[in-house]
Amino acid sequence: MCEFSEKLIAWLDRELLAEEASEVERHLEDCSECRSGVDAYKRVSGEFDAYCDAAIESSARRRAPRWTPVAAAACAVAALLALFLAMPRTRVESPAVPPPQIEAAASTAVAAAAVPASVSPAIQRVHRRQATTLASVRNANPAPVQNQNAYLQPDEPMIRIAIPADEMFPPGAVPEGIHFVADLTIAADGSAERLLLRPRLAGFERRATLP
Amino acid sequence: MSGDAAHLALPLSRLSTGACEATTLYRELRKPLLRYLVCLGLSRDEAQDVVQDSFLILHRHLASGGSQENIRGWLFRVAHNQARNRQNRYDRNFGAGSDTEMDAVSHEASPEHAVLEKEKFQQLGKAMRLLTASERECLLLRASGLRYREIGEVLGIAKSTVSDTVDRAIKKLAEKCNV
Repeated sequence: MCEFSEKLIAWLDRELLAEEASEVERHLEDCSECRSGVDAYKRVSGEFDAYCDAAIESSARRRAPRWTPVAAAACAVAALLALFLAMPRTRVESPAVPPPQIEAAASTAVAAAAVPASVSPAIQRVHRRQATTLASVRNANPAPVQNQNAYLQPDEPMIRIAIPADEMFPPGAVPEGIHFVADLTIAADGSAERLLLRPRLAGFERRATLP
Repeated sequence: MSGDAAHLALPLSRLSTGACEATTLYRELRKPLLRYLVCLGLSRDEAQDVVQDSFLILHRHLASGGSQENIRGWLFRVAHNQARNRQNRYDRNFGAGSDTEMDAVSHEASPEHAVLEKEKFQQLGKAMRLLTASERECLLLRASGLRYREIGEVLGIAKSTVSDTVDRAIKKLAEKCNV
């Protein structure tokens, strides 16, 4: 075996001192055995690099099994639920007389969220604490009741949704002008605890106004 | 008052410089570090945890005015030691990465080429399992672009020992793979 064979890999890695490196280079010009050795070490090094690249790529593929999207969706739903429970409870008050465009397009709960911006002033988003204050103000002052729903100010978190009667009953089953207000009470665990449907006659309900 | 400001300014400026350097190093070294740890036998998730922890330690090191000399070797040493701690904690052997099935071949490869490449990797994996832990670690650190001096610092061995170990390991692989 050639005496330079022990220096070939260090020379390839540029780890030799300048003097030693030039000595190896001069030797390589004359020694075919060392030249083929250098070629072989270069190839092995290249294959080792490719092996490492393949290993990291392979690990990335193994990391994402097929059920990952399902698990991700489940996590997203859980996160949304947690966010919903953690949010301060608010109540959305529907307008006393739903504008015609809402009645035409409304469909269950989605309707409340899909109200066009043009009618937004008619919808008031009231914090629970504020609603309670308004109720207590009205109780203290026996002036004519402005909101006939005031006696039903709930202590529990509540979401109020206006549902046109046509959406729930066959046409003609409910007299014209009647719509329903659904009071949905959410339990502490996020489930729907109570759903209270109350019929309302359009034109006899007015929004609470700030004093 | 001005004295207080001067007193506070030094660590804050150090922190900001450290954060900038840590970010630059993160961009440069995250992938090589991840590759080293996966090839060492850690799962992808474990390797990512170790990389993250290592960069946090680096950030604290730079922010506290720690030495910036050979920071690449320093970072690999931190990651290597953390990987070793995991090995001890879970009583696992390094080198498990060599046992993993190689199902990743280049996308452009024809089916024949893909089969040949897979066979080549399997052969190389077998040859790697015949290496000692030290030989494997030296080769992996060399493949990560570290100099012999840096490898010596990571593994706590002399530069000459690194040179001998790399030489021996490459020759073993060349022999086993018939290169």
